[in-house]
Amino acid sequence: MIEITCNDRLGKKVRVKCNPDDTVGDLKKLIAAQTGTRWDKIVLKKWYTTFKDHIQLQDYEIHDGMNIELYYQ
Amino acid sequence: MGSSSKKGKEKESRKRRFEENPQDSPKEKRHKHKKHHHHHHKDHKDRKRDNKPTKYDDEKSSRQYESEDSDVVEIIDDPPTSSPPAPISPQDKAQENQSNHQDSLSIDETNKLRAKLGLKPLDQGHTSSKDDMKKDEWGEFYHKPAQNINEKTQQEKVRTKLQEMREKRRLSHKLSAVKTLGESDDEEDLTAWVDKSRKKAEEKLEAQKRERMLEELDAQLEENRVKTPKKYTEKDLKGLTIQHDLDSFDEEKTVILTLKDKAILDEDGDDVLVNVNMIDEEKYRKNIENKKKKAIYNPYEDEEFDDDGNYRGKSLLGKYDEEIGGEKRESFKIGYDNAQERKEASMRQIKAKLAKKRLESASESNLKLASDYYNEEEMAKFKKPKRKIKKIRTKGKLQDLNDSKQDDSGGSESRRPGNKIDIDIDDVPSVDIDMSDVKIEDEKDDLLERALHKARKIRQKENVLADIVKMEVKEEAEEDADGANIVLNSTAEFCRTLGDIPTYGKSGNRDENDENMDYQDERSKSDSDEDVEFIEETAGWNSVEANQGLTSSQIGHQEAQILDEEPDVGTGVGAALKLAMSKGYLDKEQDKRPSNSRLAHLQAKNYSIEDKSYGDEGGERQGGRRERYSGPITEFKEKDAFKPNVKLEYIDDDGHVLNSKEAFRYLSHKFHGKGPGKNKVEKRIQKSAQEQLMKKMSSTDTPLGTLNMLQAKQKETQSAYVVLSGNKQANSTSTLSKVRR
Repeated sequence: MIEITCNDRLGKKVRVKCNPDDTVGDLKKLIAAQTGTRWDKIVLKKWYTTFKDHIQLQDYEIHDGMNIELYYQ
Repeated sequence: MGSSSKKGKEKESRKRRFEENPQDSPKEKRHKHKKHHHHHHKDHKDRKRDNKPTKYDDEKSSRQYESEDSDVVEIIDDPPTSSPPAPISPQDKAQENQSNHQDSLSIDETNKLRAKLGLKPLDQGHTSSKDDMKKDEWGEFYHKPAQNINEKTQQEKVRTKLQEMREKRRLSHKLSAVKTLGESDDEEDLTAWVDKSRKKAEEKLEAQKRERMLEELDAQLEENRVKTPKKYTEKDLKGLTIQHDLDSFDEEKTVILTLKDKAILDEDGDDVLVNVNMIDEEKYRKNIENKKKKAIYNPYEDEEFDDDGNYRGKSLLGKYDEEIGGEKRESFKIGYDNAQERKEASMRQIKAKLAKKRLESASESNLKLASDYYNEEEMAKFKKPKRKIKKIRTKGKLQDLNDSKQDDSGGSESRRPGNKIDIDIDDVPSVDIDMSDVKIEDEKDDLLERALHKARKIRQKENVLADIVKMEVKEEAEEDADGANIVLNSTAEFCRTLGDIPTYGKSGNRDENDENMDYQDERSKSDSDEDVEFIEETAGWNSVEANQGLTSSQIGHQEAQILDEEPDVGTGVGAALKLAMSKGYLDKEQDKRPSNSRLAHLQAKNYSIEDKSYGDEGGERQGGRRERYSGPITEFKEKDAFKPNVKLEYIDDDGHVLNSKEAFRYLSHKFHGKGPGKNKVEKRIQKSAQEQLMKKMSSTDTPLGTLNMLQAKQKETQSAYVVLSGNKQANSTSTLSKVRR
């Protein structure tokens, strides 16, 4: 289990517990459940790399306690 | 105070909250405890600052539990508006402490959520342990420690030693079973030894007995075999087919035949005997036959009889019969005597052979001695191939040859070795024929003869003409030589060619016959020669035609007259002007080309540009018209007459015409955007004013008008002089002043 912090710098900052083998899409769904936005409107980014839905977190080397930028489309 | 002050306010407000809310979240409480003593001394300051009325944004103000004036301290029982913390497990509490956000769900909640989303529950502990495998306590990856090579070698040593020991033990165990020589002595028991030896002897005997029995059995069997064999005689062999030609077996020679291989399932087939060597031989022969075989092509299919003369019947593509139906093989059966048949067959074959052959007598070709040389008959048979002779000789040479032939008597022809004849007929291209090598049949000979005759005639005619011409020229030359000594030089030659041109055109030699064309040419040339010579005698070399010379001299004379004529100045103004013009003191009005601008009012209004451009050329208007259609290909004509009247004038703001220096100054000032200084401007104005005065000043008087005064005085006094006096003679001066007034 890892815990990831997602922050859109507009007032929403959530910590999400998830598995490293979850896909980014799953993470988005979890975030959506916590923030109350629709999951398909969420864009997760780290610097300029936008994470794709079908790829696992461990493949993106997302580890425990990492910060991910949260954007909306 | 900018943002810093605002920040400070926020901080203090938070502090205030800590102070004023005794019941707070444990975390905050802790914070308070931590920070309280830290910031205690600051509180006074903060409060002081808070005295000023401040504005907070709505969010902040909602959380603030303080009134505008800081003196009043409200104590509110309500818990903070933030959502109450859910019942938390100790682990979660720790996490919650880390994050001061309430947006983090607990594991249970997350698991519930995950179940709803269709995801597997969070795995706790495993990942962390797994992470620990790779990471140290700071979360850094660490590597597997390097192997100690010393330890490794030691282990290896121990292992080999163990292996050796094991091997030794195994060997010793194996050897322990074998008795050594020394050891065997201790089992020296007599009775045992006797028993042993006796047993051995018994065994030996038994073995011998068995051997003998077996031998007997063998002998019996052999006897049986010897007795029983049926005689395999010729009777048995009868009916067996041998698949070879009977002739291939020599008499008095044994040939071993074997049964031919055949398919297992093929039961009804008879046994066939073959000899392997003979089969090989047959194969070899067949191969040779195949090699010898030529392409099978029999267009007429007339071989309807086989070798024996029997009618075979037409078979379609008989050459493939062998391949399709299998090879036909000679075979015979043992026991059946078919000698008679064979004899007949052989007889038939011989007959057929004889029928095919035709008779050939041995005496047909009579023998004779071979020789290196042909005799006459053979020579007649032997025919040389025609040789084509290259045409090497040039035409000039040929001409010479023909000329010489003409000169010579007819007998010379026979003397010549190669009888060369040049046939030059209009249709036929000229061909040299070596007469000696070619034999011409009689019918053709006639034709050739005629052609040759014709050609010769033509040649003769030409030659005669040429001779005549030559003769004439010679005579003329001789005559000329008698009259005067003429030396032909390059100039004369040039003149001759000049003279040649008109005669060529005038004389109608174009419609002469082609045959005597050369002659005519020669004639005309010689004529021109004569002309030139005549002219040289009479006049100078430069005047080729007398008329031309005359006209040119006349023109020259007229020009000289114009120059010589000098107008008389005394006759009038007109004459004087003329003289001046001729001398160049005055310019002609024509020469002074008026510029377009000056005479613009004189130009026609309906005057197209095209017309104007051609009008400038004046007399060449016609040519210009023609050039219009030839386009821009024609070369550019320089307009010599075009002299535009250009005058550069600069006028300043006041309307004064500037000279070059002033103009430069004016332009320079304009360009740099910086005028002259004030003094300079004044100076210039003064100067210009003075100039104006100078212009206004009369040339006959001084600026004070003294001359006028003097004249007036003289008129008054009626005298030619004026007395100039000082103060003593006041009269005179007074008079002068009076006048001035």
